[in-house]
Amino acid sequence: METGLATGAGALEQRAFLSLSGIGKSYGHTRAAEAIDFTITGGEVIGLIGANGAGKSTLMRILAGVTEPSEGSVTLCGEPLNLATYSPRVARDVGVRIVWQELSLSPNLTVAENFYIEQPQLGRFSPFWLRDYHRMASEGIERIFPGTNIPTGRLLAELSIAERQIVEIARAASDPNLKLLILDEPTSSLAAERSAQLRRFVKSLARSGVTVIFISHKLAEVLDVADRVVAMRNGRLVWQRGAEEASVSDLISAMSGAEAGEVGERRHSDPDAARPVLAMIGTGLTGSPGRSIELRAGEIVGVAGLEGSGQRELLQKLFASRSSVDVQRSSDRIRYISGDRQREGVFPLWSVLDNILIGRIARQSSLAPVGRAGLRPRAVELARKLALDDARFDAGILDLSGGNQQKVLVARALIDDLDIVLLDDPTRGVDIAAKRDFYKLVRQIADAGCLVVWHSTEDLEFLECDRVLVFGSGEIVAELSRDEITEDNVVAASFIQPIHSNAAERNRGGGGGPAIVRSIPFVSLFAVFATMAWLNPVVASGFGVELLLAPAVTLVLIALAQMFVVGGSEIDLGIGAFAGLINVVSATLLVTSPLLGIAGLACGLLGYALVATLIQVRAIPAIVVTLGASFIWTGVGRTIQPSPGGGAPDWLRDLFTRSLPGIPSPLLLILVAAVTAYMIDRSRTGTVLRAFGSSPLALRQAGWSPLRFSIYRYGIACMFAMAAGLYVTATNGASDINAGASFTLLSIAAVVIGGCQLLGGLIAPLGVVAGAVTLSLIGALLASLGVSTDYNAAVQGALLIVILGLQAIALARRRHG
Amino acid sequence: MAERLSLFMRTNRWIWPFLGVLILWIILASLTARFSLHSLSGVAISASFLLLPALGQMLVITTGKGNIDLSIPGVVTLSAYLSVYTATGSNTGFVVTLAVVSLIAGLIGLCNAILVLLLRIPAMIATLATGYILATATLIVNSQIGLFTRPPALGFLAAGRIFGFPVICVLALVAVAATALLLSRSAYGRKLFAVGQSAEAAYLTGIRVAPIIASTFVASSVVSGLTGVLLSGYAGGAFLEMGTPYLLQSVGAVVLGGTLIAGGSATALGTLFGGMLLVMIVTTMQIAGLPPGAQDILQGIVVISVLSVAGTKMRR
Repeated sequence: METGLATGAGALEQRAFLSLSGIGKSYGHTRAAEAIDFTITGGEVIGLIGANGAGKSTLMRILAGVTEPSEGSVTLCGEPLNLATYSPRVARDVGVRIVWQELSLSPNLTVAENFYIEQPQLGRFSPFWLRDYHRMASEGIERIFPGTNIPTGRLLAELSIAERQIVEIARAASDPNLKLLILDEPTSSLAAERSAQLRRFVKSLARSGVTVIFISHKLAEVLDVADRVVAMRNGRLVWQRGAEEASVSDLISAMSGAEAGEVGERRHSDPDAARPVLAMIGTGLTGSPGRSIELRAGEIVGVAGLEGSGQRELLQKLFASRSSVDVQRSSDRIRYISGDRQREGVFPLWSVLDNILIGRIARQSSLAPVGRAGLRPRAVELARKLALDDARFDAGILDLSGGNQQKVLVARALIDDLDIVLLDDPTRGVDIAAKRDFYKLVRQIADAGCLVVWHSTEDLEFLECDRVLVFGSGEIVAELSRDEITEDNVVAASFIQPIHSNAAERNRGGGGGPAIVRSIPFVSLFAVFATMAWLNPVVASGFGVELLLAPAVTLVLIALAQMFVVGGSEIDLGIGAFAGLINVVSATLLVTSPLLGIAGLACGLLGYALVATLIQVRAIPAIVVTLGASFIWTGVGRTIQPSPGGGAPDWLRDLFTRSLPGIPSPLLLILVAAVTAYMIDRSRTGTVLRAFGSSPLALRQAGWSPLRFSIYRYGIACMFAMAAGLYVTATNGASDINAGASFTLLSIAAVVIGGCQLLGGLIAPLGVVAGAVTLSLIGALLASLGVSTDYNAAVQGALLIVILGLQAIALARRRHG
Repeated sequence: MAERLSLFMRTNRWIWPFLGVLILWIILASLTARFSLHSLSGVAISASFLLLPALGQMLVITTGKGNIDLSIPGVVTLSAYLSVYTATGSNTGFVVTLAVVSLIAGLIGLCNAILVLLLRIPAMIATLATGYILATATLIVNSQIGLFTRPPALGFLAAGRIFGFPVICVLALVAVAATALLLSRSAYGRKLFAVGQSAEAAYLTGIRVAPIIASTFVASSVVSGLTGVLLSGYAGGAFLEMGTPYLLQSVGAVVLGGTLIAGGSATALGTLFGGMLLVMIVTTMQIAGLPPGAQDILQGIVVISVLSVAGTKMRR
């Protein structure tokens, strides 16, 4: 600690808004935060700096209630805080808001709807509730970033990264109850002018009594905006000073501050141009050096830069193929070791030994016999070299600490001959002793004649390298070698921007659902109907419409039910069978004893709530649960009524055959269903349901209950399917349990044709209605064209595949375009 | 000792359905005089027909990411019709039948794989859609077929007996043994399990992920096709709803057998006992005189409850 935290402690204590004492956090064997004492006063701007992995994010997650600290205590406005119950929701209630570095907006919602997700307490119960949020959004954005003019009705997916960042900041800052605003890298994609606007706003917020924590790698900005600057290193607060007294170079040395003894002796391999070139980086990636870069055997090449500047992409390109536009390599014996061991490293079900051996098995021909016992000695030998205890070979891989898991991955890479090793931030979550072992090991690998390409997010690690390539905005902006490699130099080079920066344009998002996908259902409905009317003019008459649309109503209702499930990125394989069951219940029980019938319908609703609960609580895939449920629905229906028959209650028949003058009753029903579904989708609940479909984690962080909304979702689906079952009873005057099943796939097809996406919570009620009507008209169209109805199913199936294929192609083009 | 036993139970998940089969059999044998060895052979025959598609389904499910093959009933039914359609009554003709069915089923599997891997359509939707097209294909073949003259070789395979033991059961056991061997003793098995646990990690380990996944769809389709041929031999013809039971039952046998629905771990032996258990439950219900509706309900409940209990077994 340079300047005492204790100076004027008495005065601070009085105005203290939040104070942390002795906060620490362990993840397994790693310490992410250590003995943090920190006091925040009202109306202060704190600049928080630190190298990647210094523990800033952990500290902020603790403040936001997302992470519970392992030890220590927090006092809020003088009151001790119960950390066990301190959730994101509570944090919000006391006025703590955070803008995450990985933005937490829902891409399938509009700007205004995203404001609702963050500030639901201001919603009115009214069909026009969203208007308030449009106003709040445009005012909130205008207040901080005058002149941006982001349309508040636009989907987030259609905005550029910079615009999304603006929305995220404005959304968090729009809380009228705001006390503490945490901004984690808020200006990473903002242009200079917008960044200046934000800093002006932060200062004015502080004047009004709100505390702001400003985390940034842009050190000049930190000095400009902050009252005091705090630096973190290795999970500790190590330095703080008033912003007026500090300079950028002070901050850089505070962040790096290489402690004596931390760095092992540096031992670079001799430069040797005679060594074979194993890989080459083409001029497409080397903006500043402007020539291709050769990587040789025996070298350790570091890949540095601010996070996400193109380092990982380089590794992935090198791994993907021998020769691509930007990189070439001359050997196929290449290994990739990822630091994201959970996702990209370990095979969680396997033992340590199996996790090692797969490195060799992966390169054998598929039909080769595998004798695991025969491979064991080689693995034991390797383990000795890596100081990995081979007594634990039969333990589950997840029982090992991060450092040991990491050794397993290295052993996996080394168990077969190799020329090139790609290290992707390999020491993430590994304790300091294990890191040192690892550094030695990497040097040994290189000395054995391998090329090591090492991407790290810890700048200190580049001291182990022979050469460092520094990335900025997707290009190599500097190449450091030998004595030029110091932490200061790496940090300084990371802030170089390429001359022709095209980052802003590159990040521009494409259209949400391409207009062509959205218009498919309406165009095809029109085409089918027009063809039929042309073949037979009676179709266009009121009577013709009634005749044609009557069978379509069932599918429309079931498809809308399916749509709400698809909105949650799930699928209900039992929805058709359920409609069939309701058909049976209403044609039998509801006729003979209405009370029993209504109880039966209520049981159906209960069954759906149960299905929703099972899916959420036990985390079982929805398709299997609903597939199982479909058999239960069918079974119950068959038990109630073994063979088709039954009747329809008169009131039900009347209800579903109402018509308005000029509008045939099936058309009326379809319109009512469409409007109802549209209203539900646009309601506040519907908005949250859609948001869950695309970003369940962000929603949970915002304090929404996944279980409650899962039950709502299946409840709504159940109601629509119920309406379908009742409609069949009313119009057919009889029931058949087997009639419903075929609607399940048709409903999925209608949903897909209607322009919804199976993943990501993008749904379109009106499109689904048009899609459902089109699908049910296909049979009639084929008949009027003289094609056998045998082809019905094939046409429907093919249509489904074609449309999904088109969507896939459109999506792929959007990603790459 | 207890520790080793518990480890054995955990690593050999087939033990649970095996115990289930044993217990159910003991209960039935002691409760009813009717449930004899003879009815057990009926169970064994039904289970054998279920086993081939279930093994295919198991491979697909093992690839993870919610992959599942819902086109199995369609392939079974279409193949049964193709078997009837191409039958000449001679064994040479039967070879042609086998070749035609394997080729067509293989192509269907390849289509599924292309839809899933290239167009990135979720497997469930892709295979459902293929199933729809197969339904139409079946209707077309249906309108073309005449009288079925069963080739002797098919009769032997589907309904024959060696030393009083049904040939179809031998076939099923051979299939289980071959699959078990493939999964536990070949590089293919290890790669498949790796892909199912984490496709990303498998890719970075150097495994070519797409061919592995594609192979499971093709395998599932081909064994379902062969099942269709065998079924036509057993039933002496083909009918439209022939494959329908295999939709839930193939998934059910796999799940009951202890294969993880999330992928990455499978047991052929478990699927054998899972299939037997499922068929025994159905048979028991029939013997007990339960109406077909109650049988459906019970099957659904068994699958869901096994999943609810086993769902947390994943050590992720």
